[in-house]
Amino acid sequence: MSFLAAPPTAPAIDPTKVREVSSWPHTSPLVCARFDPSGAFVFAGAQDNTIVRWTVPEGKKVVLTGHKSWVRSLAFSARDGLLFSGDYAGRLLAWPVAGDAPAPRWDITAHRGWIRALASSPDSRRLASCGNDHLVRLWHVPDGQPLRTLDGHDCHVYNVAFHPDGKWLASADLKGNVKVWDVERGECVRELDARILHKYDGVFRADIGGARGMAFDPEGKYLACCGITNVSNAFAGVGNPLVVLFDWASGKQKAQLKPRAPHQGTAWGVAIHPLGFILAAGGGNGGELWVWKPDDPLSWHTLKLAGNARDLSLHPKGRLVAIPCHDSRLRLYDLASAAR
Amino acid sequence: MSMSRTALLAGVLSLFLLPCSKAAAPAVRSEPLHVRIDRLIGIDQDFARYDAGLASDSEFLRRVHIDLAGYIPTSAQIRAFLADSAPDKRRRVIEQLLNSPEYARNMAQVFDVLLMERRPSRHVPQADWHEFLRQAFLNNRPWDEVVREILSGDGTDPKKRHRIKFFLERDSDPHLVSRDISRLLLGMNLQCAQCHDHPRIEDYRQEHYYGLFAFVSRMTAVQDKNKKLLLLSEKADGETTYQSVFDPKKITKTAVPRVPFGPALVEPLVDKAKLYVIAPAADVAAVPTFSRLARLAGAITQRDYLPFRRNLANRLWAHLMGRGLFEPFDNDHSANPPSHPEVLDLLAQELADNGFNIRAILRELALTKTYQRSSIPRPGTDAKQAPLYAIAVVKPLSPEQLAWSVMQATGLLESYRKAYGGKDPEGEAYRRLAPSAALFINAFANPPGQPQTFEPRTDQALLLANHPSLRSWLAPGSTLATRLNSLPLPTRVEELYLSVLGRLPDEEERKEATEFLTRQPKDIGDLAWALLTSPEFRFNH
Amino acid sequence: MHCNYACGSSDHLLSRRSFLTAAGGALGLGLLTQPSLARVLNGQQKRVLVIDLHGGVSQLETWDPKPGTNTGGPFQAIPTSVPGIHISELLPHTARQMHRMALVRSLNTAEDDHGKGAIIMNTGRRQEPGLTYPHLGSACARLLGDESNPLPGYINITPHGTGGVSVADAAFLGPRFAPVSLDDGKAPQNIDRPADLTAAAEQTRQLLRLRASERFLRRRRTAQTEAYTQTYDQAVGLMQKKHLFNTANEPEKLRDRYGRHDFGRHCLLARRLLEGGATFVKVTHTNYDTHHENFDFHLEQLGEFDLPFATLLEDLALRGLLDTTLVIVQSEFGRTPNINHLYGRDHWSRAWSVALAGCGIKGGAVVGKTNANGTAVVDREVNAGHLFHTYFKALGLDPKKNFYVEQRPIPLADPKASAITEILA
Repeated sequence: MSFLAAPPTAPAIDPTKVREVSSWPHTSPLVCARFDPSGAFVFAGAQDNTIVRWTVPEGKKVVLTGHKSWVRSLAFSARDGLLFSGDYAGRLLAWPVAGDAPAPRWDITAHRGWIRALASSPDSRRLASCGNDHLVRLWHVPDGQPLRTLDGHDCHVYNVAFHPDGKWLASADLKGNVKVWDVERGECVRELDARILHKYDGVFRADIGGARGMAFDPEGKYLACCGITNVSNAFAGVGNPLVVLFDWASGKQKAQLKPRAPHQGTAWGVAIHPLGFILAAGGGNGGELWVWKPDDPLSWHTLKLAGNARDLSLHPKGRLVAIPCHDSRLRLYDLASAAR
Repeated sequence: MSMSRTALLAGVLSLFLLPCSKAAAPAVRSEPLHVRIDRLIGIDQDFARYDAGLASDSEFLRRVHIDLAGYIPTSAQIRAFLADSAPDKRRRVIEQLLNSPEYARNMAQVFDVLLMERRPSRHVPQADWHEFLRQAFLNNRPWDEVVREILSGDGTDPKKRHRIKFFLERDSDPHLVSRDISRLLLGMNLQCAQCHDHPRIEDYRQEHYYGLFAFVSRMTAVQDKNKKLLLLSEKADGETTYQSVFDPKKITKTAVPRVPFGPALVEPLVDKAKLYVIAPAADVAAVPTFSRLARLAGAITQRDYLPFRRNLANRLWAHLMGRGLFEPFDNDHSANPPSHPEVLDLLAQELADNGFNIRAILRELALTKTYQRSSIPRPGTDAKQAPLYAIAVVKPLSPEQLAWSVMQATGLLESYRKAYGGKDPEGEAYRRLAPSAALFINAFANPPGQPQTFEPRTDQALLLANHPSLRSWLAPGSTLATRLNSLPLPTRVEELYLSVLGRLPDEEERKEATEFLTRQPKDIGDLAWALLTSPEFRFNH
Repeated sequence: MHCNYACGSSDHLLSRRSFLTAAGGALGLGLLTQPSLARVLNGQQKRVLVIDLHGGVSQLETWDPKPGTNTGGPFQAIPTSVPGIHISELLPHTARQMHRMALVRSLNTAEDDHGKGAIIMNTGRRQEPGLTYPHLGSACARLLGDESNPLPGYINITPHGTGGVSVADAAFLGPRFAPVSLDDGKAPQNIDRPADLTAAAEQTRQLLRLRASERFLRRRRTAQTEAYTQTYDQAVGLMQKKHLFNTANEPEKLRDRYGRHDFGRHCLLARRLLEGGATFVKVTHTNYDTHHENFDFHLEQLGEFDLPFATLLEDLALRGLLDTTLVIVQSEFGRTPNINHLYGRDHWSRAWSVALAGCGIKGGAVVGKTNANGTAVVDREVNAGHLFHTYFKALGLDPKKNFYVEQRPIPLADPKASAITEILA
């Protein structure tokens, strides 16, 4: 694999050298994180029902209040400079990304029950949401008008992602069914199989599953879904993190990516870097960041994290990775080898 | 009451690392084992007062048949025994039974249930596995050898798949395998020590769990494309690490393979270029040059390692005596001492000295007065005050013992032997009646993967009350009814009681049964049913 | 279990009967006669229904929510049919039944172990060496049950494949009051009397069996031999009531409301059994031991619990049974206010809740308070002893009365505690 030949002043990307460069504290465990499209901010949802915004790279902190439940979904409209946040009470808010004291512009009851994920269309004109009411919904940006309801899942919908060319939307549910929707027509055109991420635990009589993280590569050739597999005890979290990589054209699984050294826990966030390698972060028996080359199912590099990771976001410039942690800290990791 | 960790550790180590050469029993070494056991059991000063004395001949015969052969004796066998006046007739019966094909079949069943806990046979046919065990008992193979075969994990010989069954039927899950080896073979349930030191049992720590786990952590099941068999593939690398969920610092520790409270496995340095005998590849079961898995059985069964022998001794004792020297069977630790530690030490030592000769141990146990004691408390004494074993334990029949005893009582076993006997009457009858036995066994057996307990349930009573199979075996025209009805009334009553309850009726029973059968001769099946469903049949007493 | 007792007390021995008197007619055996309807008819028959949420249900996700706190988690609180009382949003149907229910929010049982916690909640006391207290089911079977009732006094409807409760439940009360387990609520197999067995012949053979059993038990009675003998009496009782297991005649709409899944079916069966004269019925819903992803799993499990439970309460009320049926919703303990690193909650017995309804209970009453984030009881702390005083009083029994074990008095409820009068009607 070749690295981008960077200009002499910028260091080269080398995931094997990834290291923590910032650790910003909040007062409550964090549950999700996203860089905004400009890369100037990173936002994180927290267990105190707030959204925390830090400037990158300075780490100046602003707290956004308005939700009454946890926010685990964040998305943006680059065009409108908006942040969208969805909470576990089904409320969808929109905020200006910048400013000293952002206040909500939207307040929509988007779903009955949890909103589990949000995704913005590549042209920033639409927002997709999904949740526990088994529904996927499309909203008009920036005015928040409901556009469509996509009905077809028969269980909690865990994640949504727009294909980079904007024509399709993928949604993944608890049982590992991934539906692909034609955005214009609002119809499900095919299904992908990520059922390896689901298990009905017969001892505890409950389902565990869902794509906890979901991402396309920038060119739309691959779709990654991550979660937990091989669960032998759902109520103690005994299982292993897994990233399922789909070949978009055929819809078939291309690879199942695992940490090279077996790890107990869940993969909570995944991203496919423009340079081709795949990143995921997770926690359980300790937090880890994993990097894979696309042709090897075992991780190329693993970084042990200070705490359980709850999400992963890749900076638009492809060098920084944001990981929100259970210990209330947002950590930034640098994929470039240290400058000389 | 708390003990310092050091004292505890010392106590535990001394418990498990007794060198073999140390004589454990206080008595004269040349005395037979059964005499030494009786002396230790009877040591309580109150013992003589509560001593229930020996069981009667018919009680003894029924008991020893059930325990050694797996089911009750026939009326003919009982009559012969009662009529025998030789002073050593009990010893001779014990010897006969231990050398009978029924013994081998029975022990195969007992150890199958112990080792596999009725897990479904998805990968290795039950018949092959059972036959391996049966041969092992027929030939009285040293038990350590047998366990080394069962735990070898080498399934490459299609005729010897018993070597891999223990693993495959547990989905080759290293956690499950570790847990079951510790519970079933070492007398320790280390399951709670998987996530943290055991919350209630000081002796059982995470390091014990993971030391055992490290032997099997590198294995997975692979459908081998060359050998066309489901085999265990083992990697040559991969360290076992663990953390405690209660440790806020989340310190990670590495485990070397080590049997609990035993020595660590010495692992040689292997040339990186020669890590494998069969290298890993897709659909190929890898075989490393140095296999941890292959050394597990040897580590457990080696003479100096005590827990395996203690567990075996405890199980054999419990099989005959009705309770373990320590209980539960998987709770051997310093805060749960055996009721008679010297007896356990003695038996564990004997296993090492006699080369894990199970038949010899059972012989000695059956010869004890402890075993042959009556289960009826001495009149005028309060049984609740009696020292352990002063009165024999009344023990429920296992599901297998119950099922086959029903077959015997109803005459089915005998008639099948006669009809299909030929060269192998025991085997033929067994194979043909096994499906019928399964009906009863399943109703009384605990769910797969769980130890057998006695939990009488209404559905079992309904089965014995209403199921057509049992009714047909007791109905007019059945084998039993036909045989009994061909006899004159007094003999008929005797034969009924001998066949079902293993004894002669007393005066009152004779009178009542005679009156009943005179009035309602067709209903002898109902009387037989009543005896069959009474606790006297259900229990070994 | 090796609880040998060679107890020759007359309670256990049956009076002698000769075979000659067998064959038809009333024989005074109790189990083969018509059930006494007197108690049932004049409304004195009391019943108990226990719903066991197995594994440790989170009080924060059920009866005592703390939204917006650092321990509250993501769920909201919702109003109920009683103004001023809020419970978790995960129980919308149950919320509408709150006027029938009482909540105890200040329970501190100080025991975080599943087995020990269950013993405390099921016997009203901590386990003691040398004395095992009987399970509430066995106590109720003994105190409220009718000897002539063909149904077993203590019926335990268990989730499929989880096995039954132990014979040891009845403790010193004896195996007659041990539970009968119905795996997955199914009518036991072989419940039909064989076609070729007449009623008379059945009586005869049962008598013969009793006779043979009696002889043996006279000299070798143990808890196990008794328990075994008991199962035949229970079997006969069950056979007489087998129609109760057939829910096919229930209206489809009602069966839908209860729900077609396990717990729903079990609740419907519980109602039928109670209606059919059962004294004590326990239904278990499993599992709630959510050390990992507590919120997802409580969503799923309570989603299964909510409507069937609400339907059951309403159904009992509509049939006029609720006034004479004490309903208890319990667990072994609650769950930690602290949310762990796996989005889980761990075992917690210091400040948790129990819900009650029915016989003798004041609807809409709430007793006890925890602090703002649920980490401690701040008002009216009670333990399982108080609960048992309350249960017995609600049933019209005196909790200060005694059982006797060989002349040793054993109070029904822990004498150090007392009834929670605030929730008694």
